[in-house]
Amino acid sequence: MASQQSDDDIFVDSPTNKHHRFFPSSPKLITMKRDQESTFDTVTPLTRQMKSSSISASESGDNERTTPLRRRPSVLDEKALRETDTKTVRDQRIQAITRSYQGILDSIGEDSTRQGLLKTPKRAAEALVFFTKGYEQSIRDVVSDAIFDEDCENMVVVKEIDIYSLCEHHMVPFFGKVSVGYLPNKRVLGLSKIARIVEVFSRRLQVQERLTRQIAEAIAEAIEPRGVAVIVECQHMCMIMRGAQKVNSRTTTSAMLGVFREDPKTREEFLSLGGIKPF
Amino acid sequence: MAHLSESSNNDDINMNNLHIEDKKNDVRRSSVLDEGTLRENESESKHEQRLDALKNAYGIMLNSVGEDAMRQGLLKTPERAAKAMLFFTKGYEQSVRDVVSDAIFDEECDNMVVVKDIDIYSLCEHHLIPFFGKVSVGYLPNKRVIGLSKIARIVEIFSRRLQVQERLTQQIAQAIEEAVQPLGVGVIVECVHMCMVMRGAEKVNSRTTTSAMLGNFRHNAKTREEFLIIGRNSSF
Repeated sequence: MASQQSDDDIFVDSPTNKHHRFFPSSPKLITMKRDQESTFDTVTPLTRQMKSSSISASESGDNERTTPLRRRPSVLDEKALRETDTKTVRDQRIQAITRSYQGILDSIGEDSTRQGLLKTPKRAAEALVFFTKGYEQSIRDVVSDAIFDEDCENMVVVKEIDIYSLCEHHMVPFFGKVSVGYLPNKRVLGLSKIARIVEVFSRRLQVQERLTRQIAEAIAEAIEPRGVAVIVECQHMCMIMRGAQKVNSRTTTSAMLGVFREDPKTREEFLSLGGIKPF
Repeated sequence: MAHLSESSNNDDINMNNLHIEDKKNDVRRSSVLDEGTLRENESESKHEQRLDALKNAYGIMLNSVGEDAMRQGLLKTPERAAKAMLFFTKGYEQSVRDVVSDAIFDEECDNMVVVKDIDIYSLCEHHLIPFFGKVSVGYLPNKRVIGLSKIARIVEIFSRRLQVQERLTQQIAQAIEEAVQPLGVGVIVECVHMCMVMRGAEKVNSRTTTSAMLGNFRHNAKTREEFLIIGRNSSF
């Protein structure tokens, strides 16, 4: 596709430095014409897909949209909720959560002065702060210096990354595995950074669908590959320990961007390389 | 029983001795069948009070972790989390005695009865984080058997509390022993502790196994061995 190649040319020529903004604040016109498409800024087909996927959840991989695109905030630069915490603020948080847990222990009818429960509020508070430590880092900090120029043209898959998250609806853990794949476009990402991206997004109050999308978008923004694919398969304790109480059920969500969305063969290759075995 | 072996007769005597001792201590020692009923027979309004207090606590918690408690996904979270917490501790609302008392039957069975692979979900009392796994329960009846699902209910009542795996195991074994007074009881509990997997040591594949062997199962190695083979939990 000629037009697609032209898009890539633009990005190959542009300087890639640490402060390169993927969505420049002043829109630039792309001079080449696309069918019935008007672009407002320099976006690759991949990032355009990310934006359009926010409008409709269609799986058809349709790139030719006439509706004007709403600007999405950058996932990389999204401000982390607790990024600017000082030690004092952190201690205050732990104290407030400790008091909350003390209230919880009393409200369920337990004797919070017995030996096993004496220090439980403090332990539980520190555990909760640990489970939400994903709020303390921005993705750009995690990723920024591990992007390398590399001539790799084949799929890179990091699979079966263990994740542990908290469901935001019940504050009960869900856990499982993530497989991430991408097709590099002259730039690769440090492998452990992929795992770190997964970690930062999962250590938050999450919804599995959003978690999956955020991982995919972060990688897409960071290295602008030809495509990104993410599969997340988890067991939700909120469904196993209570409610429906379906002990063996798992939830699988996926996010396919770029060539992974458009090309079924690529998608198939990822699914066979990155498949998550039963756990 | 003509075919009872010499050793199990001795064990009978030992077991009877234990019970005589127990009866003497009954006044001082409360029964595990009545233990831990912290929320038994509570009124609706009391239940509502608990829910409200929990809701407040969770609301403060959401703000304290830095989240925006007003966003759509979190609006009703305090209420849901409060109900979930009460559900996870519903073991406090029933006594084991009430659950099992009408399911004890006279039966001539003198071979081991094992109920295995009972899924359990509990909360660790140190971090209020789930631990879960499987329980295997075996006993040698002495003229009385207990309804099979009651064994699972006993496990459920004790596990739906703030627990420590060692205590949970002991309570299950003692409850069966007190309910039917068998020749012996064996309980094996194998769990994954999320407090160890999701945080702290972060050992993803580790499991903790605890066991309680009473009566025959403690004194007689062959009986114990039989239980360990028949009652082996499947991997999970």
